[in-house]
Amino acid sequence: MAALPTMRPLGCLRSLLKTKEVIQPQLGRRFLSTAYSQRPQRVPLPQSLPEQFLSQVPVRMRPENAPKPIKVYTPPPSARKACKDAVAKVTETQLETLDPKGERKALFDYRRNPRSIKPGDIVRVTFKNGDPFNGVVLSIKLRGIDTSFLLRNELTRVAVELSVKVFNPNVQSVEIVQRAQRKIRRARLYYMRSRKHDRRSVENVVNAYIRQKKAFMGGGKR
Amino acid sequence: MIQLKTLLTCIDNSGASVVECVNVLKKKRPATIGDRIVVVVQKQRAATSEGTSGTALANKVRRGDIRHAVVVRVKKELQRDDGTVVRFGDNACVLVNKAGDPIGTRMNGVVGQELRGKQWSKILSLAPVHV
Repeated sequence: MAALPTMRPLGCLRSLLKTKEVIQPQLGRRFLSTAYSQRPQRVPLPQSLPEQFLSQVPVRMRPENAPKPIKVYTPPPSARKACKDAVAKVTETQLETLDPKGERKALFDYRRNPRSIKPGDIVRVTFKNGDPFNGVVLSIKLRGIDTSFLLRNELTRVAVELSVKVFNPNVQSVEIVQRAQRKIRRARLYYMRSRKHDRRSVENVVNAYIRQKKAFMGGGKR
Repeated sequence: MIQLKTLLTCIDNSGASVVECVNVLKKKRPATIGDRIVVVVQKQRAATSEGTSGTALANKVRRGDIRHAVVVRVKKELQRDDGTVVRFGDNACVLVNKAGDPIGTRMNGVVGQELRGKQWSKILSLAPVHV
């Protein structure tokens, strides 16, 4: 602690003396550790080292621990090359079993076949394990083996819609009862669900058709 | 998709015309055809006063009654095992008692065929049409 000059007037002299001590400049000094030196080059092991010296070589550098070549396997045969479009192939085989003559397919292929069922037609579907269903075709979804059509009818004043898969083995037959009365410019007739455009029940049309068909069949028998 | 607050039409002659679902039984999801639900009768069918045999056939249930019911038609489309999809124009149910017998003696309107798989053959036999 520097003494107060008022109390000890000569005390300040000592501090003056201290400043005379030599202060070595730290800036220009360099230590051995900070001096730059080149990294020593790695000396490779001699190629043919006599066997008696191998024990002095570090374990990882001995010839028996040299890195082994990685085994490369040949890729498996490409499935894509074997079958370009697997989905189309499956669809084809399925169609072959479910619709061997291609009649069902033609009956619903409304884009190509002009005699096919079209949206707006009244259709009767008979099943192998249940009651037949009649209705107006609202839409036909062409999706290969999943092709389906949507029928709408009114039973006991309740609207009923039934979507049936075309290639369903339960479907025994699909008959066209009546063609659309006028040209229909839409592929999907969902507007027929609205009250204004609803076709309501088609039962009387179908009943007339069945009666006619029966009479016709009976005439054929005679 | 019958759940809390859904209004259904009642298609039997028990006396209810509109009922409201308050609970779906044995299921954590919305009810569909063949499921049992608990309903509150919201609207009574106008009692046929001049009707034959009078009071015996009159409304068996009244407005505000809490009853069990079986869903027989749903608006939500329903897919069957063979891929056919059925959709009805409305939601409808039939009132049943605790034992599962229908309260009404007659039904008007189509019902879904799914009732057969769920052992509601009594309702199926009453129904005029099934789809």
